[in-house]
Formats: sequence, structure tokens, C-alpha cells
Amino acid sequence: MSTKTELVRGYAEALFAIATAEGDLDKVENELFDFAKALEANADLREALTDPALPAERKKAVLADLLGGRATPHTLNALDFIVEQGRARELGEIVSALANVAAASRQSSLAEVRTAVDLSDTQREQIRKALSDASGRPVEIKVVVDPSIIGGVVARIGDEVFDGTVRSRLTEVGERLKGA
Amino acid sequence: MPFVILAQVEGEQEVVLAEEGAVGTEQATETEAPSGIEVILPEIPELIFGSAAFLLVFFALWKFAFPPMMEALKARTDKIQGDLDEAETAKTEARTELADYKTQLAGARDEANRIIEESRKTADQLRKDIQAKAETEAQATVIKAQEEIRAERDRALQELKAQVGDIAVDLAGRVVGKSLDKGAHEKLIDDYITSVAGSGEAK
Repeated sequence: MSTKTELVRGYAEALFAIATAEGDLDKVENELFDFAKALEANADLREALTDPALPAERKKAVLADLLGGRATPHTLNALDFIVEQGRARELGEIVSALANVAAASRQSSLAEVRTAVDLSDTQREQIRKALSDASGRPVEIKVVVDPSIIGGVVARIGDEVFDGTVRSRLTEVGERLKGA
Repeated sequence: MPFVILAQVEGEQEVVLAEEGAVGTEQATETEAPSGIEVILPEIPELIFGSAAFLLVFFALWKFAFPPMMEALKARTDKIQGDLDEAETAKTEARTELADYKTQLAGARDEANRIIEESRKTADQLRKDIQAKAETEAQATVIKAQEEIRAERDRALQELKAQVGDIAVDLAGRVVGKSLDKGAHEKLIDDYITSVAGSGEAK
């Protein structure tokens, strides 16, 4: 058995190959990304999909209920496959890897951008441009709305982090209070 | 004086004999009859015999009876003298012993006083030592307690600071989160874009 990184990469490349072959890469990629973020935010759903005692059929039924008609069949089939393989726990990483592979195929890097509120298209473009300038390479962004950061933006490109959140500033102040 | 009496008795016998002779020859007796002092004076031969007998007896007594008597007497005198001397010695001894006893008694009293004084001193010293030790221990305990209290207080303060920090951050987060309106969010995002772009230019 390969290491986890290799495994995740293998799944991501397979998904990328299939989606590209089907000519539906952007849509599948975005739907999978959205679903992975939803899974990250919803503990009950995560538990249901990763519970080894629950039969795969039930898990697939849950997925069909959630995504049926709202996502492309390719996305649903990909998720079914991952869940059936018992890799629902690694879904987030697989999807991130897929996004990276997809971005790399377009000669750019992927930046995961978290904000407290949803961003307008103008803001997305401005952030994308700023991050491209800052990292010195073309960047694609995926936006995740995360109220826990309170305000501001944090972007992660690979191992690089551009943190401008209210949460991190407050934490910094808190540390200073503790140290005083 | 037996010798004198004997002589007298002999004299009386002479007298009696003389008187008996006088019965036959009253006249002769009357002319020869002694008178005055002569009545008691012995005849000369009688005196010689008496003296001789006296001397004989005296000699015999002096020779045989006196020495043992004198000896017994001397022994008795010696004995009495010895007893007296012994008594005197015993008395002296008793006096000496009494003096000794008195000295010993005084010594014993002094010794007892000394022991009592010593005991008092020892007890006093002991009391002082115990007191000093107790004071030292009490002081050490107080210092230790103070140190513990200080450490505990510091720890509590540190914990309190940490908690206050967490609470402050949490509260600030909530307050800020609620107070952030759309405009504030926009401004935060704009600031972020500016700062990230700036960092890129700086590179």
C-alpha cells in the first residue's frame, strides 16, 4: 500500500484524467470542491459517509439525495466511487489535490482563499491578481466562506500563507496579553 | 593493829597469871602489883617475843602476801586506767567521727545544691534551645508558606492572564464580528488586497 500522499495524488490524477476526458473538468472540479467544503463544515454528514458500519449503498443513497439533479452525473459518480472505496475521510485532500493538478495543467497555482463574507467577482479578480503578483506565478483561486475568521481574508498557496484576518490579529493581541 | 592487840592480850594474860599468883601470896602480890601506866605496858621479854613474832609475821606477809596483793591492786589500777584511756579514745573517736559526719553532711548538702543548680541550668538551657528551635522552625514554615503563596499567586495570575486573554479575544471576536457591516468587510478585503499586492511589489 502506498503512502497517504501518493494515494491522495493517485485518486486526484485519476479524477482529473476522467473529468478532462469527459470534457467537464471545470464543473466537476468546482462541484467537488464545494462538496468537500460542505463536508468539512458538516460533522454529521462527514460521520455518516465515513462510518465503516454503514453499508456503501446507504452512503450512495445519501449522496444521491444531496446532489441528485444539482450536480453533474460525473461528479456524483466520482463521489460514489470514492465513498465506495472507503476514502470519504480523504475526500477533502483528494479534492484539494485535484484542484492543484487542474491548476497545474493550466500552468497556474491554486490559492485557497477564506473570507468571512462572500466575495464579489471584482474582489475575486483583485485578490487573484494580488496573489499572483505576490507569489510571482499565475494563481487560480477557490473561495471558501468561513465566518470563524470574523473578517478579512486568508489565502494559502501550497505552503505559503497570506493572513489578513481579524481572527489572527485578535489571537496575536491575546498572546501579547498572556505574555504581559 | 593486830600486832598491838596481840601484845595487849598477852599482857592481859600476864595480868591474869599475876592475879592468880596473888591469891596464894596476897602480900607479895600486893607489893609487886603494877600501877599507873605500867598496867598496860608489856613485860620486857614479852615485848621481845612479841616484837620478834611481829617481825616474823610482818616479814612473812611482806614476803608472801604483799606482792600478789600489790600485783592485783596494780592490775586493777592498770585496768581501770586502761578503761579510762579507752573511753577517752572512744570519746575522741566519736568526736572525730561526728565532725566527719558533719563535714560529710555539709558536703552532701553542697553537692545536692550543686546538682540542683546544675539541673536548673540544664533545664534552662534546654528550654532556651527548644524555644530557639521552635522559633527557627516557625520562621522557616512562615517563609515557606509565603513562598508557596507567592508561587501560587503568580501561577494563578498567569492562568488568569491567559484566561483573560482568551476571553478578551473571544469577546472581541464576537463584538467585532457583529459590528462588522458590509462596508467594514469591504474595507478589510480592500486592505488585504492592497497589502498582498504591496508585498508582491516589495519582492
